[in-house]
Amino acid sequence: MTTAQDTSASATDTAPIATNQKKHRPTSQLEKMQRRWGWIFISPWIIGFLGFTLIPMVASFIFSFLKFTINHPEDIRFIGLQNYQNLLTDPLVGVSLGVTFKFALLSLPLAIILPVALAALLNNKYLRGKRFFRTLFYMPYIVPIVSAVYVWSGVLNTETGWLNRFLELFGIQGPDWLNSVVWIYPALVIIGLWGLGNSYLITLASMQGVPTELYEAATVDGANMWQRFRKITLPMISPVIFYNLILAVIGLLRYFEIPFILKEGTGQPGNATMFYNIHFYKTAFVFLDMGYGSTLAWLLFIITMIFTVLLFYTARYWVYYASGDVF
Amino acid sequence: MLKKYMRIALVSLLLIVVLGALPAFAQDEPVTITWFVGIGTGGAPEQREMQEAVVQRFNESHDDIQIELIIVENNVAVETLGTLIATGEAPDIVGPAGFAGAWAFAGSWLPLDDLIEETGYDLSQFPESAVEIHRTSEGLLGLPLANFPAFLYYRPGLFDEAGLEYPPAHYGDPYILDGEEVEWDVYTLREVGMRLTVDANGFDATEEEFDPENIIQWGFANQWAGPMRQNYTLFGAASVYEDNGDGTYTAVFPENWREGVQWFYNGIWEDHFIPNAAQVGSDLLGAGNAFASGNLAMAQSHLWYTCCLPDSDWDAAALPSYNGQTTARIHADTFRIMNTTEYPREAFEVLTYLTGEASLDLLSVYGGMPARPDDQDAFIATLDEKYPQGVNWDVVIESLAFTDVPHHEEWLPNNNKANDRLDAFQSLLESTPGLDLDAEIATLVSDLQAIFDEYSAGQSDE
Repeated sequence: MTTAQDTSASATDTAPIATNQKKHRPTSQLEKMQRRWGWIFISPWIIGFLGFTLIPMVASFIFSFLKFTINHPEDIRFIGLQNYQNLLTDPLVGVSLGVTFKFALLSLPLAIILPVALAALLNNKYLRGKRFFRTLFYMPYIVPIVSAVYVWSGVLNTETGWLNRFLELFGIQGPDWLNSVVWIYPALVIIGLWGLGNSYLITLASMQGVPTELYEAATVDGANMWQRFRKITLPMISPVIFYNLILAVIGLLRYFEIPFILKEGTGQPGNATMFYNIHFYKTAFVFLDMGYGSTLAWLLFIITMIFTVLLFYTARYWVYYASGDVF
Repeated sequence: MLKKYMRIALVSLLLIVVLGALPAFAQDEPVTITWFVGIGTGGAPEQREMQEAVVQRFNESHDDIQIELIIVENNVAVETLGTLIATGEAPDIVGPAGFAGAWAFAGSWLPLDDLIEETGYDLSQFPESAVEIHRTSEGLLGLPLANFPAFLYYRPGLFDEAGLEYPPAHYGDPYILDGEEVEWDVYTLREVGMRLTVDANGFDATEEEFDPENIIQWGFANQWAGPMRQNYTLFGAASVYEDNGDGTYTAVFPENWREGVQWFYNGIWEDHFIPNAAQVGSDLLGAGNAFASGNLAMAQSHLWYTCCLPDSDWDAAALPSYNGQTTARIHADTFRIMNTTEYPREAFEVLTYLTGEASLDLLSVYGGMPARPDDQDAFIATLDEKYPQGVNWDVVIESLAFTDVPHHEEWLPNNNKANDRLDAFQSLLESTPGLDLDAEIATLVSDLQAIFDEYSAGQSDE
């Protein structure tokens, strides 16, 4: 009888020989044809990747060393690291990063906790009308972002908005949600919560995948509901929480559509919606300064990269993979 | 195998050379003039249709010149045009576009003076003022096509309800307030505006019992006047910079506009007859289309606003004066030739076709008043069909005599960035009570100076 260990050892022994044989074996017509068709089939992706990702990235990297405004291409010239130096003196870089991180502080915990809470609620065996509620909570996600923002700007209007009217029922004078430098952030969070449908659905699917025998065993051992949730559910769905976290962080760093539609890209009130991407967009596409705009894009790329790497690094300490895989 | 590839390469090379040389032999090849539409109006379906028809008519009647029409959506037009210029594919003609759209590409337009002289084009068919608004230090950059003068839209029904006389039907006429003739100026407008501002309990803004937290009707607004400079022309035309003549510019804030800012700000936050940003965005004021909501008694806007009035309970009146002087700002759309064109003469021929023979057809879909006085009656007849209440169009034509020079959309050093800063200032006023206006103006001037200096530094580097 051959053990698994033996098989593995023998495979390892023969591997170099197989590689050498492959190296010298002439390619058959069939292989050539398969290879050609392989390239043909993946060529749409390759063309798309080259045309819309790689070449623009390389181009923007080159632009970041140029003085280049697109309406005056005749003035284009190499200026070395000047655009990168400008990052240090441009007050809006600090302001826009500050705005982005301030919003993240408020929005990120909710973007992670709420889907889990919602999924736990909708996974509860005592809840009636589960399908109805699941559909209800997912539905806002399919509303186009532009429509959603217009709807919410009506709901949050100080004068005639439903939210302030509702608060008035309790004798509370509602704030000027959309024109106050303080209240605009909760307003943006509220609008953003409407888009939680996807992350809650993924979390719910993950929760439903947790083996029931784990809960049964824990119940037999005397664990209460909170202990079962904390010791079983949370670790088991941690890969999905991690996935949601990565998407939320990247989403925050490229946060653009809602403040842009809500405030027409003005950054108002008082630069409170001057998110980093709004600053980048205005520089490149309103002021048409492609050189400095590209530099801002690269700074964003670096910041996003740092956060993503940090998150992947920390994942090994809190994300549980049943298969043992670690990124 | 190598030979086969060599042969294919040679044949391909030969084909490229032959095909490349073909145009040189084709003596009768027509010149193609590209016409780019998008940075102003022109993207609506009926406009597209008419523009295509106008192009087809020209192409069918010309063997030597053919127009190629490029229409892009307005929201991506600036980037698209910028990209075309940057890639050496700049169109020959751009428009229709107003001054704001044109200044986004300052320095890109061909002065027409030489072509006008060479072809003997008759400029006397237009009033001089209609021509001169297209003249800059570079020369005449456009031929008059459409004008959109500003005037006062008002709702007679709301005036009747408040027992107030209507605003003057002609410039120079006085206003009758409480039975007495008074000058129709910004201060009278304030008084009338406050009387027309009503709260939920029926008190107006001049009464002690008035509740500013529950306003249901407002007196006055600058309808769709987002750009900052557009808001203060009631107080006279002015510029926010001085050209020092040495490539540098000094940021200034004109005194008449300082008073305008104070009047406007008090109008919102103290007198309450002008709605603030939140109020303008509310359902009470049509979520942005304030005058059309029926809850705003007077609005300063341009002729283009006739696009968006769903009812007939409104009329036109004279704008108020300030210190005895009246200013009625103007928007003027036209086509311009890019200075990169290879065929300036042919482009000029197309330009004169668009602003001449084809102009009435185009203006019927663009909605602008023809710059040629001879064509104005026909245009007004179409408006009368749409608004049968008998609008006082005379005052609209009278407004053309009070245009703002310097224009409120005049070029600024570092144009787009400077405008962006000015608009942020305006937005701040409309949304924030309790501001120290002198301090805010000082900050604005300081920021503008930095923006102008950045432009000067960039110019001197070249």
